[in-house]
Amino acid sequence: MRTRFKKVLAALAGGLMLAATAAFANPAPTAQPAPAATPATAPAAPGKPAATSTADHSKFEALRQNFKTGPEVTKACLSCHTEAAKQVQHTKHWTWDYTNPQTGQRLGKKNLINNYCTSTISNEKDCMACHAGYGWKDASFDFSNEQNVDCLVCHDTTGSYRKLPGDAGHPIYERKEFPHGSGKFVEAVDLQKVAQKIGKTSRTTCGACHFFGAGANGAKHGDLDSSLQNPGKYLDVHMDKAGLNFTCATCHSTSSHQVAGSRYAMDAAPKGAAHIRGKADDKPASCQSCHGNRPHPEKMGKLNDHTAKVACQTCHIAEYARTPIGSELSWDWSKATTMGPDGKPMAAKDSAGRRAFDSKKGQWVWDSYLVPEYRWFNGEFTYKTYRDKIDPSQTLEINHPGGAPGQADSRIWPFKVHRGKQPYDTENLNLTVQHTAGEDDTALWHNYDWQKAIAKGMQTVGLPFSGKFDFVSTEMYWPITHMVAPKGDALQCQQCHGENSRLKGITGIYMPGRDRNPIVDAIGWGVVGLAFLGSLVHGLVRIVAYRRNRRNGQ
Amino acid sequence: MTRFIAGIVAGAALFALLAWNMAGSLMFTERESPFSVEETVARIQQNIQATGKGWSLSGLRNAAKPIEAAGGNVLPVLMIEACSTQYSAPILKNDDIRFLSNLMPCKISVYKKSDGKVYIGMMNARLIGRLFGPEVGALMEQVAEDQAGFVKFDPSKPAPAMIKGTPGGGGESGGSGGAAGGC
Repeated sequence: MRTRFKKVLAALAGGLMLAATAAFANPAPTAQPAPAATPATAPAAPGKPAATSTADHSKFEALRQNFKTGPEVTKACLSCHTEAAKQVQHTKHWTWDYTNPQTGQRLGKKNLINNYCTSTISNEKDCMACHAGYGWKDASFDFSNEQNVDCLVCHDTTGSYRKLPGDAGHPIYERKEFPHGSGKFVEAVDLQKVAQKIGKTSRTTCGACHFFGAGANGAKHGDLDSSLQNPGKYLDVHMDKAGLNFTCATCHSTSSHQVAGSRYAMDAAPKGAAHIRGKADDKPASCQSCHGNRPHPEKMGKLNDHTAKVACQTCHIAEYARTPIGSELSWDWSKATTMGPDGKPMAAKDSAGRRAFDSKKGQWVWDSYLVPEYRWFNGEFTYKTYRDKIDPSQTLEINHPGGAPGQADSRIWPFKVHRGKQPYDTENLNLTVQHTAGEDDTALWHNYDWQKAIAKGMQTVGLPFSGKFDFVSTEMYWPITHMVAPKGDALQCQQCHGENSRLKGITGIYMPGRDRNPIVDAIGWGVVGLAFLGSLVHGLVRIVAYRRNRRNGQ
Repeated sequence: MTRFIAGIVAGAALFALLAWNMAGSLMFTERESPFSVEETVARIQQNIQATGKGWSLSGLRNAAKPIEAAGGNVLPVLMIEACSTQYSAPILKNDDIRFLSNLMPCKISVYKKSDGKVYIGMMNARLIGRLFGPEVGALMEQVAEDQAGFVKFDPSKPAPAMIKGTPGGGGESGGSGGAAGGC
């Protein structure tokens, strides 16, 4: 009883002490005016940094200028970043020239021909809207001039820096109508503002060219379009804005302005375990660099075995162009110069609002949510250039994906195959370069005259033109590697292993469910037949034995 | 005699089982389209608008959108909604069959399958109509005739633009609206 009394007394004392402490610690509010938020004598608390960068470029004297041209901005940039231009000048973004060390072929936009816009040569003033430089309008361009390097096109953070076709890579210096005759105007770029707000590359800066290749959103790659600017998880599990939020540079990491992960030098079968953070990685733009080549849990070991033959992209990008933007499937140049019923140039769009026809350029076919085509691929393309002889009776592969079943460096890869018709010289049997863009009399988009356009293009590359041309069917392969879907949307077994599956064209590999081996089939059916026969005979014996026994009165 | 009755019962049971199995597929039809999803939708929309007889578009819903918003992938599925006041009014005026408003507006879905081909799916208005008596049957007979015209395409005609969203409200992904579409 006494113990209980002591406990109650202690509890009361404790409660009183607690109440007193609370009362003194938090005095009741009074009607007096609130004191000033920060006394004048108190030391100022450090503010939260406005950005993660350690430099505020708007405070740099060199950038507080009323810049008139892009090269003036570059000169200011180089006053601090002394080596930047030299580095850029060693990249493909600058040279548009690349020699494949394996094949010795000269690649890059400067040398290749494709089945979209065909060639940059003789069309530089337009095409160089996507060159990281200023002033490349013809072969006289000075590649050694550091001030010709365009820093802003990759490092703009304002989203206001624009380069238009026709200006040889210069940004818009004066308000102008674009497209010509459209009544729409584009404002001049505020170079000072852009220069003072430069930062890291972004989806916007990379996408300004790579989303809009071939002159339209999503036209070229199939797995790159403006939907990746702000994608949901369904579209790209890595770039999901609310999730991992990768930028392009997260995978295409850059050193000395050399951007990793080029189509010209691919590794179709990277090997080894995932790389640890911080480890130097010569192929960061591969699935394997983060996921390793046994990426699935060991209880799903069979899936890991697939990595020896199948690229990750094959299962994890079941469809590409998975938005209504879609991608271009074909470009038929043979329809170019066809005029409307009134004899004037015309243009038309498809049901989804994408370009479908233009008298300047020909006819296009688009679609979205596309099932890739599959090929064995070892990462190497062999290109047909305008210098190579062609066989116009066959569909011409502009780039042939190397690789074969059984090769250690080959995997089954998904591709977008872009088909088209484009001009070739019927006498010399080579693809032609044509002068399309421009306002001069030889430009196809100005005078609609193929003869003049091809003659000018071939003259520019220094090759003969017989004066006779026709159109050849072509195919171009684009490996699909972006727009990786969530794991739940990867291909299911039967989508590859069933009869008439999406891999029905893949040869040189035995795929259970898809393929049949006559010997295995014969053995299997033989066993089934024997089992059936055995049951039949056994049943018959039982019936005969039963009747015999009955007859014998047993 | 017992064997005879047993045979009849077994036959009836077999028939019922077959009917049960086939009923689902009979209620709906599916056919391949030679065009892309968007062009198929646009051509159907154009046909609906050209039909007259009170037909108008009520909306276009993208059934894949909510799944994409939830982080998943499905191939495109667009549902064209259309209604004809000529056929809906008699049904909606009759208390006994007003519950059939559940079937309104008429839907035609256009979708892609994993074979990469585009398909058109529709309700078998003729068969369903017959289930609800002669009055509804006669109306739905005419609906079925009109529906058959919606999916007749003339490839020589240029592709029309797809009409996005719902006339008078709503959006491509659906949600509200449809009032201006007639039903």
